[in-house]
Amino acid sequence: MSGFAPVFREAGLLKRDRAFIGWVVLTLLLSVVSVVGGIAEVSKQRETIARLIEGDREDRLEARAKQGDWGGAAYYSFHLTYDPPSNFAFAALGTRDQEPWKHRIRMLALEGQIYERDAGNPVLALTGRFDFAFFAAFVLPLVLIAVLHDLQASERGAGRHELLIATSGISSSPWRLRAWLKAGAVFIAAALPLLVGCIVSGTSMTRSLMAPAILCGYLAFWSFVSYRIARRERNPSVILATLLGVWVMVGVVGPAAGKLVIDHQVPVPQGADILMTQREAVNDAWDLPKEVTMDAFVARHPEWSQYAAVDRPFEWKWYYAFQQVGDQKAEPLSLAYRESRLHRDRLAGWFAWLTPPALLQRSLQRIADTDLRAHMEYEANVRLFHGQLREFYYGKLFPDAPFDTDALGGLPEFDPGMAAP
Amino acid sequence: MLSNRLRLQAEELRVIRGGKEVLKGITFAVAIGEVYGLLGGNGAGKSTTLLTFLGFLDLAGGNARVNDALVSEDVVAARRSIAYLPESASLYEHLNARENLRYFLGLAGSAGDDESMEAALDRVALPAEARDRRLADYSKGMRQKVAIALAILRNTDTLLLDEPTSGLDPTAIDEFHDLVRTLADDGKTVLMVTHDVYGACQVADRIGLLRDGRLVGEFSAPAGGRIDTEAVHRAFSSREAV
Ligand SMILES: Nc1ncnc2c1ncn2[C@@H]1O[C@H](COP(=O)(O)OP(=O)(O)O)[C@@H](O)[C@H]1O
Ligand SMILES: [Mg+2]
Repeated sequence: MSGFAPVFREAGLLKRDRAFIGWVVLTLLLSVVSVVGGIAEVSKQRETIARLIEGDREDRLEARAKQGDWGGAAYYSFHLTYDPPSNFAFAALGTRDQEPWKHRIRMLALEGQIYERDAGNPVLALTGRFDFAFFAAFVLPLVLIAVLHDLQASERGAGRHELLIATSGISSSPWRLRAWLKAGAVFIAAALPLLVGCIVSGTSMTRSLMAPAILCGYLAFWSFVSYRIARRERNPSVILATLLGVWVMVGVVGPAAGKLVIDHQVPVPQGADILMTQREAVNDAWDLPKEVTMDAFVARHPEWSQYAAVDRPFEWKWYYAFQQVGDQKAEPLSLAYRESRLHRDRLAGWFAWLTPPALLQRSLQRIADTDLRAHMEYEANVRLFHGQLREFYYGKLFPDAPFDTDALGGLPEFDPGMAAP
Repeated sequence: MLSNRLRLQAEELRVIRGGKEVLKGITFAVAIGEVYGLLGGNGAGKSTTLLTFLGFLDLAGGNARVNDALVSEDVVAARRSIAYLPESASLYEHLNARENLRYFLGLAGSAGDDESMEAALDRVALPAEARDRRLADYSKGMRQKVAIALAILRNTDTLLLDEPTSGLDPTAIDEFHDLVRTLADDGKTVLMVTHDVYGACQVADRIGLLRDGRLVGEFSAPAGGRIDTEAVHRAFSSREAV
């Protein structure tokens, strides 16, 4: 007899098990819903970006046509920055749900513009949207628990347990194979829509292979836990309650407790404080002696020291200098904010090894470039681009270059990949 | 050597289940080609005795042997040489008779060919038109017939049958007894649990009377005859050991 005969035998039995087929179909449906929802959200974000890029071009042309001096041109122009979703973002929306992925920035002080959205101190959702990562992390284990918890208990209940073992001769015989087949079927039902989503989204080969591999490992973990607990206990209700307890612990309580401890251990300055500090610095500057501002500015930009004298009551170069000094004042807070957020994230990454659902979500978000690291890269991009804008305008404002509309064509362009390593 | 003619041996068998001593040192043996009826009331320990031969229970004392080998030492060999019909055997409700047979035979590692499956279902007199229906639509007796057919198809030396006639109508019981006799004449060893005194006397070469975990009496059929139902019935209903 071929070595696959037992597989065909058990698969044939499973195929006829209506309840099991129901679970597989449900898994397939939920996976489809999560993938379709993710793709819809990502294409909505892409469309938004495309629309903004179009608008940005028009804005720039308009600003160029209307303005008569460098300072005004800089003052009235908006510049689009954005973080396009990766071709795997549909599966794990991650920070794209909570953090801004687009800004229209001006030549003014930057830090406040970046963190404007954070000022509301949003309640951080523990779970987030029903994307594939959420579905896989939280719903799939429940499906596995449902189909695996009574693997043996159901046969006991039906009075077949001893017959099956006595007939097979070996003590573990059909159980392990059945567990493998059930988990395998659930995996395929979950992974298939994901793979189709990858093909539709033009996801790279590496990502398309890595995601199912990680998912496979995750389901192996849950299958193993379910199988072990189901083996040890006889009463299916006790098995079910135990497994649901594990799910609640590692899926809900564990991550929440971890977040609590990490948040307590690593304080993060409020985004609103950065905004306030910078805004106060800018507002105060109007009343300060101009040399105070210019000295602080020149300390950062010695290349403009020879043009630092401000003779008239209002000069654009002074105006932009105190915008920059506002950023300089907020810089320590902003740096601390970013560093401590990354620190928290690193700790959360370590802690996630104790809470597999969080680990899976994080891994998928990492692949999708929707984790905090990717968001920070985007912020770095915004700062870099804003720096380039400043360099361009400083080069006109400080030497007092004559206004030239055509020269505005040389404005730096935002490139989402500019700061990428 | 005498023991070479013995398929099943229980030697001072003691089993504790759920903290209670269920078998309190029972000794009996079943020879090749013999039909042995294990008789007793509810909770006497009949099913437990069968389970010990299949290696499902830890022994608190004594030995269980199949083909002279200790079950505890080679449980796989014991199970492979035994076809087991559990008490109120339930096969898969969502499969039909043929599919059930094919599944369980596959599990035993033997591919059941259609011809022998039909023959076995003929032997247990399962109506042909029922064979493609799911067991969910079967009567208790029809299900029992499929389970018996499975035990036959296993084609093992030994059959352990736990209340095989439960659910069968009188005609089917008679046919079943004929079937058991035929199997024994072919050299199969049958250990059959029942609480049907009359039925046991019809078919068994020997009967062991089990009461509260003890073997309280044994009856043998005289050469060419049957065990005296009267005597067994008297022993069965009395409170004393025989
Ligand atoms: N799974 C079990 N766990 C604990 N005790 C059991 C179990 N099965 C049976 N028993 C006890 O063992 C005794 C013998 O049971 P059993 O062998 O099934 O009796 P019989 O088949 O003769 O009716 C009974 O008292 C019963 O309560
Ligand atoms: Mg019983």
